[in-house]
Amino acid sequence: MKRFNSIISKGLAVAATLLLSLCAYGQDVQPEAQQTEIAPSFSPSRLNKEVLHSSMVGIGSSNVLDTYLSPYNYTGTDYRIQRETQRMTNLWKGRVSNQSFIDLNVAINENRPKTLDEYAGGLRYTQGWFYNFMGGNIVNPVERSSSRWNFAAGLAVSAYLGAVYIDRSGNNPAQAKADIMIDASGMVTYDMPIKRHHYLWRYQVSVPVMGIAFSPNYGQSYFEAFSLGHYDHNVLFAYPGNMPSMRHRLTLDIPIRRHVLRVGYVAQFNQSVFNHLKYHNYSHNFMIGFTKYLYRR
Amino acid sequence: MKHCQRDILMKVTRRFLWAVGVLLLLTACVKEDYYDNSRQGNYEALWKIMNEHYCFFSYKQQELGVDWDEVHARYASQINERMTNAQLFEVLCNMLAELEDGHVNLSAPFDFGRNWSFYEDYPEHYNDSIAKLYLGHNYSIASGLKYVILDDNIGYVRCESFENSIGDGNVSMMLQSLASCNGLIIDVRGNGGGQLTAAQTLASHFTNEKILVGYVSHKTGKGRNDFSSPRKLYLEPASGGVRWQKPVVVLTNRAVYSAANDFVKCMMYCPNVTIMGDRTGGGSGMPFNSELPNGWQVRYSAVVYYDRDMQHTEFGIAPDISLVMSGADIAQKKDTFIEKAREYLSTSQ
Repeated sequence: MKRFNSIISKGLAVAATLLLSLCAYGQDVQPEAQQTEIAPSFSPSRLNKEVLHSSMVGIGSSNVLDTYLSPYNYTGTDYRIQRETQRMTNLWKGRVSNQSFIDLNVAINENRPKTLDEYAGGLRYTQGWFYNFMGGNIVNPVERSSSRWNFAAGLAVSAYLGAVYIDRSGNNPAQAKADIMIDASGMVTYDMPIKRHHYLWRYQVSVPVMGIAFSPNYGQSYFEAFSLGHYDHNVLFAYPGNMPSMRHRLTLDIPIRRHVLRVGYVAQFNQSVFNHLKYHNYSHNFMIGFTKYLYRR
Repeated sequence: MKHCQRDILMKVTRRFLWAVGVLLLLTACVKEDYYDNSRQGNYEALWKIMNEHYCFFSYKQQELGVDWDEVHARYASQINERMTNAQLFEVLCNMLAELEDGHVNLSAPFDFGRNWSFYEDYPEHYNDSIAKLYLGHNYSIASGLKYVILDDNIGYVRCESFENSIGDGNVSMMLQSLASCNGLIIDVRGNGGGQLTAAQTLASHFTNEKILVGYVSHKTGKGRNDFSSPRKLYLEPASGGVRWQKPVVVLTNRAVYSAANDFVKCMMYCPNVTIMGDRTGGGSGMPFNSELPNGWQVRYSAVVYYDRDMQHTEFGIAPDISLVMSGADIAQKKDTFIEKAREYLSTSQ
């Protein structure tokens, strides 16, 4: 277990190094014109050309409960990779931004007596549209907004596919996780100038509002569902009453010469109660990566 | 103008913070009752896991008079915080043994708690060294299935376990090799089960039609009688390869359990199949696993499988023809069950 954690940690370190190199490489090959090309004038017709790319890796804590597998929490280390792209669109006179988000995580946990290992992970893909209030620009507020504070709120469609596996034999060692949700999401940015540099804080909260999710029934075996085709309330309507979840993300963009270093904190509280089966997956991650602000010609 | 903008900004900020605050309040934690790792905590946790997940309470009350609430009261008085791990293990195993279920086990690093009375309390009706004489040395093995043609042109298949996967190809090749035989003996004595799919794959080569072989029902909630409507279980004929058309005898004893019991249940509905031997051991619940606060593992029956008359086979399946291992046969190094099956198949030509 410790050895595996060590391997994962080293892997993340290598991934972070590669990521930094790639970002630096990207910055090197991109002509400075990309920075200077940004028109100083505030024009909706040009706003939709703003693009933000961000890649981050992170490590943190994990706490998983899945009563289909065990009545107890498993805790351990969570490893996370996030990739985000934001761009302004032409919608609503250029006030709507689009965010596509990939969030991949793997948690390696143990039960309290440390007799069993658990592996939990999944991939969430989100595509969201945000209305930028007060003529702001959430994608590149430093360059494009007259206010230090910028707000945006909107809706996103997110799809998740994951699994929780406990390293033991039997007919219920694993649990599949899947959902397609509409999330309500809000973003706020704060531009914090110190001397000649602009440090940009970003906070985003997302809450699943409604959608569909998969769950086996209380004592249903996967053999029944998938080998025999005996489905029983396996696709359920999900809403905050049975899936009270939220995801928070706080980041700080730090300009370093021509690059922008991003550090952040991600807290996710994914929960559900389907067919009397309780599930939660809490994680807190410290993230690091790079952000690139581009301008599409 | 600047004041106006600042007011709007403050308003939006306040609303945003309010929204986040309300969301945090609305997002109640989803958690499960937690028992501490004390003697009492482990005892209560085990009783609760069984109480909410075990699938045979009604049947066990009807057949054995087990009242799970009364069981709780009776064994709770035996729990105290000064007892050793071994003593706690013994009390917990005794409590579970009330259910007389081979699929109910408690696993600790130093012992494996079980009630195997389903076969330990009965004659074995099987002698491994004698059975091996029938196989000889030149038998073939197809994915764990040992087979040979006996002197009287009867095929003999020894199926000791369903732990290994069995494919249609394995069975077809085996049946192809035995195609010239007048009949077939499938000896599952001592087969404690394994993969349900392996058992069904083997059985599917003995029917030409889709046949109803039973029903399945799972728990839908924590209540002892919260079950789904029984769904039909069919045995589909093997879609490719060889399907056996001649008489078959399946040899059973009390140690035939779980997936092997399900195999016998499927075979008894197949044409040309006769079940001979002793009653099977049963074990018709599909087991799930859980754990105690101290890390001990508990296994329990979670999904009920019925026969096609909606009867439980938890306590076994009666054979069509009962047999008893003869002492005289053993003295002559003969297996009564195999000899009777050969006679039966020879006369049924």
